[in-house]
Amino acid sequence: MGRPGDFRERDERTHMHHLLGRLSTSDPEAGDSLRIVAYFDVLLARGSGVAGLLRGAAVLAGCTAGAEISGRIRRRDPEGKEPAEHRDAPRAPQRSGTDWAVWLERDGEGSALDEMIVDRLAFGVELLETHRAPTGFDAVVDDARPLAERVKRLPRFRLDPSTPVRILATAADAPELGAPSAVVPTRYGLLRATLDVSGRLAATGTTGIGPWARADQAPESWEGACIAFRLTDADDPVVDASDLGAVLMLLRAHDPRAPHDDVRALARLDARSAHVLRTLVEADSIRSAAATLGMHHSSVQARHEALVEALGYDPRTNVGKMRYIAAELLQRLTDTPPGR
Amino acid sequence: MSVKPPRPPFDPELEAVLAALADQFPVGMTAEMIPQLRASDVRALTDEQLAADDLTRRDVTIPGYGGDAITVSVIARRDHRGAGPGIFHTHGGGMVTGDRFAALGQCVPWVLEHDAVLVTVEYRLAPEHPDPYPVEDCYAGLLWTAGHAAELGIDPARLIIAGPSAGGGLAAGTALLARDRKGPELAGQVLMCPMLDDRNLTTSSYQFDGVGVWDRGSNLMGWTALLGDRRGTEDVSVYAAPARATDLSGLPPTFIDVGSAEVFRDEDVAFATGLWRDGGEAELHVWPGGFHGFDMTAPHTAVAQAAVAARNAWVARILES
Repeated sequence: MGRPGDFRERDERTHMHHLLGRLSTSDPEAGDSLRIVAYFDVLLARGSGVAGLLRGAAVLAGCTAGAEISGRIRRRDPEGKEPAEHRDAPRAPQRSGTDWAVWLERDGEGSALDEMIVDRLAFGVELLETHRAPTGFDAVVDDARPLAERVKRLPRFRLDPSTPVRILATAADAPELGAPSAVVPTRYGLLRATLDVSGRLAATGTTGIGPWARADQAPESWEGACIAFRLTDADDPVVDASDLGAVLMLLRAHDPRAPHDDVRALARLDARSAHVLRTLVEADSIRSAAATLGMHHSSVQARHEALVEALGYDPRTNVGKMRYIAAELLQRLTDTPPGR
Repeated sequence: MSVKPPRPPFDPELEAVLAALADQFPVGMTAEMIPQLRASDVRALTDEQLAADDLTRRDVTIPGYGGDAITVSVIARRDHRGAGPGIFHTHGGGMVTGDRFAALGQCVPWVLEHDAVLVTVEYRLAPEHPDPYPVEDCYAGLLWTAGHAAELGIDPARLIIAGPSAGGGLAAGTALLARDRKGPELAGQVLMCPMLDDRNLTTSSYQFDGVGVWDRGSNLMGWTALLGDRRGTEDVSVYAAPARATDLSGLPPTFIDVGSAEVFRDEDVAFATGLWRDGGEAELHVWPGGFHGFDMTAPHTAVAQAAVAARNAWVARILES
């Protein structure tokens, strides 16, 4: 079977890699890093094992990827197959932990993307290794599990069904906060859920804080925490869902994979139009918007008309303002997560 | 808000590919997107790739439908001798895009391994050339191949037809034409995730609407390009939409593979069932979590490797028998 294999290698070799290279001409690094993150996030969220992670790393990098876990070596080439043993193969770049190491077998000069791929691979392997000794905390915040099953887990964390708790959301690779936690797949990618019963758990980095809830309703708090996490930015690294009030209800109804048409319309605007729009909404009149923007009154008027056309509503009416503010907030839930 | 019907999940590795290349898999494609689709075709096989595998290629102009000139390429091992197996290939591309070199990587390993001679046909595309141009051009190519078997180095008793997606539908339609016109005898047909049914009434055709690869909307576009107003009416031949054939007897041994997570799942399963019903033989694989064309798009995944291995094994049994 040697020859056909060789052929495939040359022909449809690493179709993914080929696409990655081809597609990212406009903003290569940014585009590719998003793809890499998305690829590994899905693998981990869907419970892929080490072989799947290695195949992904290899196809994305275009070279063999390897892992040594508890003394056992596994390697996969960009075809997804196990390559012939190769004692002198380079292990670069490499990452290692207590009982594991992962690497790419890059012959020659690597790239920033290599580093990123091996980082995601390392994170995945570390996660799999940690899951070997599951804490079971993921079940406590999992709304897909029946109430009875969640309640059964609570005593392990010294919780009664009625104990007030709140859940914190941090990045999956953020350090643990010294309380029961688990890395769990969410509609916004992988996040770490941490239990807070005192209300005094110190948030060290980007953190979303869920609203207080009974321990048997922890998934509700977790959902709020994930939403709050998505609303963090450099200015507000910690967002508490309780501060969102009734707006939290709106955000809960949002599915980032199927955003409302108002969100899509907003996302289609270029940066300049989005700026004009924001100014128009915030200003008392077209005239004062024109002054703020340093534009002529009539050109702002024309912009306004074009925006009404593009949005399908007038953002200067009361209802229009509400629609704009809601869409703008929802767009932040749809966009790339913070810290990436 | 509309409620989405339940559907089988994508295989985890394939879902990762979808997430990473989301912008590469447009859903709900419309006719206006055909030029863009044609411009973005990347799977074509180059002469360099052929040369690297010691393969030769020869282009021949032959009479197509209505006697118009069309091109076929003949691809064989440089060391090809005597009469070997033959593969007649009909490429994919939703009836509207692709060329005769598209996704040839599925079949070229058979040329290498079994010293087969492959003929791939440049059938004319819809909507510029609606039905029956595509399937009749394919049939013309098959007639020519069988008629020139000796000269091409093909053993006529070991000639199979193979195609993916729209090419799978065209392969099935061509095999039906060959049966009904008492044309060339085929030793097998390899229908890879074939596009068979213009009616789009199956459960799977509704399950993958706005999601996956070659979704319901895109499929409707492809069929409309091929059939125009006739799509979904009584006025569609079994050669254009082989799923409409009520008699599937007298067809060669058939291999069908498809993903569980694609529009074509149910029509492909039904086609295999019809072949068995009418006394034929078929090997059917429904790969769990596979989206349309997953073995071409994501050959590195475990499920794609299994699919390719199963298909190649079937072809080996047919060609080496």
